[in-house]
Amino acid sequence: MTNWLASINYITGKVGGIRKLILILMAALLGVTILLDVLVVEKIFDPLGYLYIALGTLAVLYGIYPLYTSRRLVGYYWERASQNRLAVAGLAFILFLILLALIGPFFTTDPTATNFEEKNIPPLGFTIEESVYHPETQQSISKTITGSGKHPLGTDNKGRDLLAMIVSGARISLQVGLLATGIAVALGTLIGVTSAYLGGKIDNILMRFTDIMMTFPFFLLLVFIVFIFGPNLAFIVLVIGLTGWTGTARLVRSETLSLRTREFIMAAKALGASDSRIILAHLVPNVISLIIVIATLSIPGVILAEAGLSFIGLGDPSVTSWGMVLRAGQQNLDTAWWVAVAPGVMLFLTVLAFNFMGDGLRDAFDPRSAV
Amino acid sequence: MPMKKNWLRDYIIKRLFFALIVALGILTVTFILVRIGPTSPADKYLANIAARGQDVSQAVAAIEARYGLDKPLYEQYINYVANLGRGDWGWSFSTSMPVIELIKTHWIYSFQLIFLSSILGALVGILIGILSAVRQYSKTDYIATFFSFIGISIPNFWLGVMLILLFSVKLGLFKTYYDSGIPIFSLDNLRQLTLPVITITTGMLAGYTRYTRSAMLDNLRKEFVRTARAKGLPERTVIGKHVFRNAVLPLITIIMFDLGSIVFAGAYFTEIVFGIPGLGRISFNAIFADDYAVVVTVTLISAFLILMINLITDITYTYLDPRIRYD
Repeated sequence: MTNWLASINYITGKVGGIRKLILILMAALLGVTILLDVLVVEKIFDPLGYLYIALGTLAVLYGIYPLYTSRRLVGYYWERASQNRLAVAGLAFILFLILLALIGPFFTTDPTATNFEEKNIPPLGFTIEESVYHPETQQSISKTITGSGKHPLGTDNKGRDLLAMIVSGARISLQVGLLATGIAVALGTLIGVTSAYLGGKIDNILMRFTDIMMTFPFFLLLVFIVFIFGPNLAFIVLVIGLTGWTGTARLVRSETLSLRTREFIMAAKALGASDSRIILAHLVPNVISLIIVIATLSIPGVILAEAGLSFIGLGDPSVTSWGMVLRAGQQNLDTAWWVAVAPGVMLFLTVLAFNFMGDGLRDAFDPRSAV
Repeated sequence: MPMKKNWLRDYIIKRLFFALIVALGILTVTFILVRIGPTSPADKYLANIAARGQDVSQAVAAIEARYGLDKPLYEQYINYVANLGRGDWGWSFSTSMPVIELIKTHWIYSFQLIFLSSILGALVGILIGILSAVRQYSKTDYIATFFSFIGISIPNFWLGVMLILLFSVKLGLFKTYYDSGIPIFSLDNLRQLTLPVITITTGMLAGYTRYTRSAMLDNLRKEFVRTARAKGLPERTVIGKHVFRNAVLPLITIIMFDLGSIVFAGAYFTEIVFGIPGLGRISFNAIFADDYAVVVTVTLISAFLILMINLITDITYTYLDPRIRYD
């Protein structure tokens, strides 16, 4: 009985803390869902669901709970970050995007529903001339099509509603961005901290392995793996996460190197703390601000990677993502320009928003920029 | 001083040895990935042969001979490495020619694109970066910073599509598709490369501007700059000779490393968007044709090129800047 409690204490740090409760609750939730999935025929969660629970636990343990217990510090950082107007604008856009992804699908139609009666309708406020060929008279008649409120962003060449496709794409992009970054950052942090703390041979092996991983051109490796194993959203998330940790590992390692000789680590060691406890309960919490910045600045790359895969036709065919819409738009540039414009604008704004926010956070966390 | 030479030689040997290990790592990873993939390349090849109504039994024999699928795994692996080393990179069934021939006819299209964009991106990016640093916190600096944010955030492939939409479809200034019939060394070719080069350069430019700016700013605050100014040197000489020369070394490293990630991926998309028949485009076509050998080869070539570029950069850097010593 005391044995498994002790092992949880290693991870959570505080004996009898709320963290332990959170970890136990999340583990129980994961256990129950897996049990239900195995016993009940109908699946509750796809693989992404499990990822959400696992990464959510990490986020609560190392992000939300510490933030909650140190509200004064958070207030201080918020004050500093909020002075950067671009960062605040970025945050506002990201919140809007999350809202769009969460409740948007309830207000839009099915993004995959085709309707050839209503194809190539321009966005609201635009009018185009389209020549329609009549087989009986063998003549082309110029027809005017005006955008209407029914399809505010217009439709594509199969009559699919562009707004619905954009909303669906926001969902995919955010999911991929958050989950894959979560995996990559968690893995990179673990490898970086372990490597720096243990040093010696293990450091050498881990860092040489990181070097080998970094030699692969990230996107081409992604294309290669997805090509071999086939496109599936959960798999793409996993692959981006498992290949994208190298940068994090290096940055976290160099940050940890300066931490590991500090007094509080010495004190923990002197008190008999084990290596895993020092890593998980003392070192990781102290590189959290760096990790938050890295994560924010990694999300754009991940979102673009997924969009790029979809754009070249290696996206999950069962979901509608921005890259896929853009690809369809590119093939019909001369008849329906808006189909290529809309997903690209969203992609651009999303990436810009995360970049602005990451930059603002980095400045806010940087003690050198304090006045 | 005689110590230095020996040290450098040791370093180069060590670096070469590591590059060899990485190269083996790359080969092993690709081999394993292809092996554990759900469908083997042989199956896809056979399916393609069957779809064309050709003799399958003969193809089976050919594949057995080529991949040695009945042999133990380690022998297959040695075979794989040896074949690659011999320049036998497999057969591309979608184009009906050996992969090496395919690469030989197409690499030049990627090379011209990467060459032109890298030079343009580096030159313009460094210039804007210097200007931005020298006039820190001026209007020029803010505008440059703002545009570099936009440049970093704009998806490469979307920018390409938008440039086609604006300049080719709406304004009719350029052709919408790359014409490979035009000879490479001609003005017409340069003209049709304008939009693709702008597409790749935009993303690079932004990064270089920011790197140059911060590298210049780091050095501008150093004491030797104050000394140079104090002894009455003109500002041009101070910036050009004293500050820039010290800032340029780390920049070269960044530019070389960028070639691997940003430029290669950028060229991949740009070739696809503009229909330039380079390595990215043939890999893209091969993906749709399920042509394994081509996809594998293009990935391997890019990985090895990057490995080599990194190796050369590292050695040059250590040679040029004796302050840097790796242990």
